[in-house]
Amino acid sequence: MSLDPVQVMKRQDSLPKTCPSASNGDSKASWDDSKDIHENVGSTKKPKPPKPENAVTIAVSSRVLFHTEKEQKVFEQQGIEEYLRYQVEHENEPFAPGPAFPLVKALEAVNNHLRELYPESEELFDIVLVTYNHANVGIRLINTINYHNLFIERFCMTGGSSPTGYLKAWHTNLYLSADTAKVQEALSEGIAAATMFMSEKQIEVSKTQLKVAFDGDAVLFSDESERIFKAHGLDKFFEHERENENTLLDHGPLKGFLEVLGKLQKKFYAKGHRLDCPIRTYLVTARSAASSGIRALKTLRAWGLEIDEALFLAGAPKGPMLEKIRPHIYFDDQMFHVEGAVEMGAIAAHVPYGIAQKYPHKKSTNTGK
Amino acid sequence: NFFSHIRTPPKPSNAVTIAVSSRTLFNMVKERKVFEEEGLEKYVAHQLELEDQPFTPGVSFPFVKALMNVNARLRELYPDSEELFDIVLMTNNHAQVGVRLINSINYYDLTIERFCMTGGESPIGYLKAYMTNLYLSKDSMKVQEAIEEGIAAATMFTCDSENELSDTQLRVAFDGDAVLFSDESEIIVKEHGLDTFFRHEKEFENNAASAGARVLKTLRSWGLEVDEALFLAGAPKGPLLQKIRPHIFFDDQMFHIEGAQELGTIAAHVPYGIGQKYHKGKRIDTNTNNEIKMSKK
Repeated sequence: MSLDPVQVMKRQDSLPKTCPSASNGDSKASWDDSKDIHENVGSTKKPKPPKPENAVTIAVSSRVLFHTEKEQKVFEQQGIEEYLRYQVEHENEPFAPGPAFPLVKALEAVNNHLRELYPESEELFDIVLVTYNHANVGIRLINTINYHNLFIERFCMTGGSSPTGYLKAWHTNLYLSADTAKVQEALSEGIAAATMFMSEKQIEVSKTQLKVAFDGDAVLFSDESERIFKAHGLDKFFEHERENENTLLDHGPLKGFLEVLGKLQKKFYAKGHRLDCPIRTYLVTARSAASSGIRALKTLRAWGLEIDEALFLAGAPKGPMLEKIRPHIYFDDQMFHVEGAVEMGAIAAHVPYGIAQKYPHKKSTNTGK
Repeated sequence: NFFSHIRTPPKPSNAVTIAVSSRTLFNMVKERKVFEEEGLEKYVAHQLELEDQPFTPGVSFPFVKALMNVNARLRELYPDSEELFDIVLMTNNHAQVGVRLINSINYYDLTIERFCMTGGESPIGYLKAYMTNLYLSKDSMKVQEAIEEGIAAATMFTCDSENELSDTQLRVAFDGDAVLFSDESEIIVKEHGLDTFFRHEKEFENNAASAGARVLKTLRSWGLEVDEALFLAGAPKGPLLQKIRPHIFFDDQMFHIEGAQELGTIAAHVPYGIGQKYHKGKRIDTNTNNEIKMSKK
């Protein structure tokens, strides 16, 4: 507990102040300590971030929140010293938005609605910036956050060490990063996580309604069915699904995230906003309805989870559906589908979980109609 | 290749995609009442309770069955081809109603593996994403939206009596103007009367003086064939349709739809063109256009 390389920063308009550093597991004590400092400084116009145990915490890395390809190249090709120098030199130049940016904007829009309906509640989205970055880069990140009018008050700049412990301390409900290894580590610790990729094309997404789309197997559900399909083929898969129609599927890494979204949705329904709820969820699965759909639907039902729109594609390409839906984020366990989606300009995130990771799929080309 | 051709539906880009709503595929009149009178929660609960009871067939059911028969024949002749009919269930229904729908589909041995359960939102985007060739629904608003977006679509109505239909041959009957062809000729008839219409047709035609020639020449120039062509010159369509027994008959005028239904023909309304502003020869207020309801539901 001697040298703590982490600085937990409270963002303000000018100079950053360091708070008593948060120890990894002991959240309660540090919140009480920092409470006084927080109340005495900072603007009273901006709302206070919720306590992590009440909030739905989304941790994003700087590389997915912003477009930092150039800087990443400098780091990889010229090393850390040059990288830091470069960042400090460009400190006043805000970064361009990255793949997670529209999602974060949408989360903030939902928060505004929630605050209108439940002004005292802490059941809100809370966005934490979790980054490997060295503290010096913090200034440029803060400047960028201000420039884009984002509300991100919590930073974890780990200066190189693993963020997983901090993810746990923040009760993180979802972690997004550009680094698959970090994402896999988080998943193995039971934290919903996905890898995001920068894309050239980006289709416009809603500014008023948060849309989150999920693949079924190995994302919401476990990969047990995919294992059977990969090992024994489609017929055995259908047979197994029919036989086990009334046996629940086991849960997958993103089930918990759908659950917390559902809880927030219910808050809107309770105040009469079912039809115009600012959160909408989608199931986009390659499953076939007649042959394997029942088990998926009954599992969701048993978990008490609702999904607003359900698409059973039976193997049809997901790209056109995602282009129609325009989710702020779509989770899939297969890179093949994520790549296809990203190519069409949809925002897709890879969940590196389950058997599909052992079978990289070659992309096939579709014949146009 | 993991995929068995029998089970995996064809790629949308290769298939002829027919999107049907749950209420046209199955008879959901009773359940619909629960929804309208008691609200969404009661409706979903009701469906869940009856989940293991398959629905009875709806008005597009014979058409869908006939499509599957054609698919079976196509597969015999071209086992590797993806040029088949692909049926997608396109429904506003709540996702959990999907279980009863799936049970019903399996009960009748239908092959419908693709579902879009839109939870209340418009299906148009999904229709496009599936490159839909034909959309059938009970909701004329959705059908109109689809037509405006360039997707062939028609509204279907529950038919009380139904003629026995062929098990082995798919039969599709089309009205001409405002269905296969644009409504330009119909506009002339409605606004200026039949004489003007014939004069107009003669002007645009090369030798014979009948409007029919123009029709046939147009089809020919499109490279389209019809197996049987009936020119009625105003005679009622009902008896002829009763003889044909199509799995579906498309017409733009409710008057003809009603006439067909009275004699047990499955008819689908194409809400397109000038025909929507007239009913039984009289001009109607377009605001009440959607109010023309069937006496039977």
